[in-house]
Amino acid sequence: MFGQQLISGLATGSLYALTAVAVVVVFRNTRTINLAQGDFSMIGAFIAVVLIKDLGANYYLALAGAVVGCIGLGILAERLVMRQIADSDWLTLFTATLGIYYILHGVAGYFWGRDTKAFPISFDPTPIEIVGGIISQGHVINMAWAAAIGLVLYVFFKYTKQGIAMRAVTDDPETAELMGIPVRFIVLLTWGMAGFLAAFAGVLIAPIIYVAPEMMDEVLIKGYVAAVFGGLYSIPGAILGALMIGVCENLAGGYLGSHYKTATAFTMIVLLLALRPQGLFGIQKRREV
Amino acid sequence: MKNAMMDKSTEFSSTALRTARKLRSARRIQAGRLKWAGMAGLFASAVVFPLAPGVEGWMASEATLIIMYIMAAQGVSILTGYTGLVTVGHGGFLAVGAYASALMTMHLGTDLLTGIIVGGFVAAVIGCALGLVFLRLSGAFMAIGTLGFAFFIGTVVNNVPIFEGREGISLPGNHVLGYEIGDIGFFYVSLATLAITTLFIYCLVRSAVGRAFMALRDSEKAAEASGVNRVFYRTLAFSMSAAVTGIAGVLFAHYVNYVSSEVFADIWYSVDFLVATVVGGSAVLLGPFVGGLFVAFLPTLIEFFVDQPGDLAFIIKGGALIFVLIMAPAGVVEGTVRFFRWITRIRKETAHG
Repeated sequence: MFGQQLISGLATGSLYALTAVAVVVVFRNTRTINLAQGDFSMIGAFIAVVLIKDLGANYYLALAGAVVGCIGLGILAERLVMRQIADSDWLTLFTATLGIYYILHGVAGYFWGRDTKAFPISFDPTPIEIVGGIISQGHVINMAWAAAIGLVLYVFFKYTKQGIAMRAVTDDPETAELMGIPVRFIVLLTWGMAGFLAAFAGVLIAPIIYVAPEMMDEVLIKGYVAAVFGGLYSIPGAILGALMIGVCENLAGGYLGSHYKTATAFTMIVLLLALRPQGLFGIQKRREV
Repeated sequence: MKNAMMDKSTEFSSTALRTARKLRSARRIQAGRLKWAGMAGLFASAVVFPLAPGVEGWMASEATLIIMYIMAAQGVSILTGYTGLVTVGHGGFLAVGAYASALMTMHLGTDLLTGIIVGGFVAAVIGCALGLVFLRLSGAFMAIGTLGFAFFIGTVVNNVPIFEGREGISLPGNHVLGYEIGDIGFFYVSLATLAITTLFIYCLVRSAVGRAFMALRDSEKAAEASGVNRVFYRTLAFSMSAAVTGIAGVLFAHYVNYVSSEVFADIWYSVDFLVATVVGGSAVLLGPFVGGLFVAFLPTLIEFFVDQPGDLAFIIKGGALIFVLIMAPAGVVEGTVRFFRWITRIRKETAHG
């Protein structure tokens, strides 16, 4: 029982991690608390549904389509909205992403309806046995995807020119600009990356939950809680936080009852913020946010 | 205020300087009077509004709803605008006020005025506690922490038996000092409460307490170094802010005569109040009025023009929000003032050739 809860908790947590990492990346490069992150995912899931249902694409093609669509969405959001007000204080930026949230919610509802739908492809329900616990194949596949994306991100940030430039912008945008780094392009890249991660988060979680305009709302909030574990700054911290939330809420759901699931995440965050305001893995860096 | 005369005055003799100063202070007094006249006009037109011909009962109800949004946004503006602590959790205080008054009315049979006082007080106490818990938070962390508070209240309301969860508590008709009041009467009670909270904020901002809040907002370190007690004033700001929003919650509960977790566990109230504060201008007296109108009246307005509400209304709402933020990042009130100053300057420049 316990081992099983643990593994499926890790599987859910790895999906939260995708959102949490996107949240951290956008926040540390642009000071933006991005409320539209979940809706990027939601649109991605809808794109995948349309590709599979109406155009007969397979799962991987649908995933690719969602990735392209979401990256476009992220870039569009930066270009049309966020860049216009980039110099404002973070509260204005935050409210503007709420505007994007409303628009994407409305667009999804307008074109695809508000009722919840099942994702057209479901995983093979026969469970697999790993180290004494039983786990569904869908969870295994999702964890594999999440791990692969984590690896890609690691390589990107560690070895590629753009990734290093992105870290430089995180550390100090002004110095980075003086050193010849195209900060505007990097910011655009940041939003593109948010879209990339959003596509995976949406398409991978859709078979587990459902597809609807509000499908990602709760996931987004948990992603934020996880991001705070990393002090809204550290990517490994956010991933670890997401896994912890996944496990804790699954245990709480198993032992206390399912309506304590969301409450668990927030009990954790309130405790954490009260005791360690910089986040569990946050760096003691004074940032005027 | 920066007119051509002021800019050149340094080169002139001290008499010119004195004249310019006099002119400026006269203008400032005039601007102050204008503000008072505007406020008084606003409230006077609100007073006669239900009596005007062609106004039906539902319009007064709609106006009451707007008043509640304005009041809730005022609560947020004390904390977010004047003290600089962004809150996404004031829906929680709305619920605290609503349930405090609802339980009082149900179990003790108190009237609306007692409900307002007790609801505000209970919200202030909880706000004080929250302020102490989140003493070390700021910026985005505070926003996420207060969001957690709103969820916490939602969970409590959903699961603790005394609050009746989704079943909800139905309230009897509203009484004030023994008299039963209808929709119009309720509108006047709300309006009077709004007048009091507005006056309260006006005085607060001009008092030493308000100055301490703003000093903390502008720089915590500098404020502390100048002898502002950070712990005390932060907690005080939390309490006052919670009380004002809590009172809005009391009115909300008695407005619909029903409280349930379906309504008060909803996280969107918290977000709406913050949006109202940001849109109007967070540290301006008139800001919550504009913002409350934006948040509460825009959906009604959209529904009036668009056949298919819901989705299309969502898109328009989002577009309007982004448009306002791009045009006036510091809020509509500030944006309007700047716009008129710009017009005046252009006109002056063309007049001078």
